[in-house]
Amino acid sequence: MKEKIKLAFAQISSKRENKKENLQKIEECTIKAKEQAADLVIFPELSLTGYVVRDQIYELAETIPGSATKKIEGIARKTGMHVIFGMPELSEKTKATIFNTAVFIGPKGFIGKYRKMYLPTHSVFEEKRYFRPGYQTAAFNTALGNIGLCICYDLFFPEVCRLTRLKGAQLIVSISASPSIRRSFFEILTAARALENTAFLAYVNLVGVEEGLQFWGGSRLVSPTGDVLAKAKYDEEDFVTCEVDYNDIRPAETFIPTLRDLRPELFDELKKYSELL
Amino acid sequence: MKLTPSVLELDLSEIEKRIRRFIEKYVENSGADGIVVGLSGGIDSSTIAALSSLSIGGDRVLGLMLPEKETYNPKDIDDAKLVAEKFGLKTQICDITPVLESFYKTIPIFDQADKLCKGNIKARTRMIYIYYYANKLNRIVCGSSDKSETMMGYFTKWGDVAADISPIMDLYKTQVRKLAAYLGLPAELAAKPSTPALWPNQLAETELGIKYETLDLILYGLERFMTTEEIARQLNIENTLVKKVKNRWLSAEHKRRMLLTAKLEYRTMGTDFRLPRDAY
Repeated sequence: MKEKIKLAFAQISSKRENKKENLQKIEECTIKAKEQAADLVIFPELSLTGYVVRDQIYELAETIPGSATKKIEGIARKTGMHVIFGMPELSEKTKATIFNTAVFIGPKGFIGKYRKMYLPTHSVFEEKRYFRPGYQTAAFNTALGNIGLCICYDLFFPEVCRLTRLKGAQLIVSISASPSIRRSFFEILTAARALENTAFLAYVNLVGVEEGLQFWGGSRLVSPTGDVLAKAKYDEEDFVTCEVDYNDIRPAETFIPTLRDLRPELFDELKKYSELL
Repeated sequence: MKLTPSVLELDLSEIEKRIRRFIEKYVENSGADGIVVGLSGGIDSSTIAALSSLSIGGDRVLGLMLPEKETYNPKDIDDAKLVAEKFGLKTQICDITPVLESFYKTIPIFDQADKLCKGNIKARTRMIYIYYYANKLNRIVCGSSDKSETMMGYFTKWGDVAADISPIMDLYKTQVRKLAAYLGLPAELAAKPSTPALWPNQLAETELGIKYETLDLILYGLERFMTTEEIARQLNIENTLVKKVKNRWLSAEHKRRMLLTAKLEYRTMGTDFRLPRDAY
């Protein structure tokens, strides 16, 4: 496993309902990431289709594997890159059951996927109307280290990142489609999730205007001590590369030993009381 | 939450950027050649004219001034021209009086004394002129309704509210005034009493029975799910006034939404036909 890896944040706006154009953009950004010697390029939540597609989601969702993942596997193979992106995933077992999924593909093919567990359905969000939630956190042992995945609103629930960390993730990747009005929440939560888990956290957010929602970008790499190591522009497309040095985790863990100090018995209490809410 | 005027403060630079981006992207996606705005010389339409010009350039923005004899005020025309000059938009004046008089003459049940019904004809006639220009010039109509008036239902259905986009509909009147000043609109414009110009000497605050400074705080509280009792207590006003505002807000929902139909089939307009509005 590499001790240092280079990430590329492809902070793009997606052309809604136009998978062909978005796949083209994903390919261009992956080639650019390769040219800049990155190991992993990360795209925002639902970057394959755009975020606000409403009922059109039924036409756009694809199985995994499917034509979009095959196309991106080809891009990853050709460039030798690792790629994480977001797409609406159609269940293989049903005709219209869809997940909001982060897909992880490497030079040797499909590595894994994560289905968003917490689906915002309040304010302007209507994800539960369209998506079934996932039931598993995801952390994958790869040539680039153990990498965990989560999506946007999951960051509000510390247990998602904590579980990926406990499964071994040293870098947690959060792909997002967060509108401007919520920027301050995410700026706090990304730092908190990295710090409380003493893990790197890469947050990659969408930009563009969809249905009056303006996605704020601001993608960032947060260190295991909560420092913002690299940050993309607010509100506009941007492409940023940055380095993750896994050696930084050890001093962080000794200085802030949150994992050593975990109290498993509290999780039983948490379960009990959350059921009684 | 403390309901004080400070809750209505905004990061005006950020708000300007977001609105400009919204307008620019919408025009770009729609494939339109520009924007038409109804320019009354009031604060809302002047702000919209300014924002439209800043977003896509004044040469692609047409401000239509649509006076009529009963409410004609040369000051409004002067103010509108001042805004147009400052922000570089083109203008056109169309006197709608003859058209209105035709309506008055040809509607068999027309009642001269019914100010509201008559005034609504004016607002809807202006809408027809604005949309004619938009159609003819392949432009979109940029509406200038604000949040206070929209929540109160203080507009003419299919009239002044009719537009393709309404970029300041999420800002209360007092916030629009601040944004206008921030954009460099003349101070006297912000101080000018609002009027829908449906009949002579019509003033919004008189008609609504409340000052915008108070109304906006009541609406802000309602927006955040505060009870009327709590709003009244914090603002030190009668709960009956807050309840009156709340009732007016709730009863006007039919003016703000896609028209209601009976649910008869699989997917229905306005309820479960849910499609993106700006993706094509």
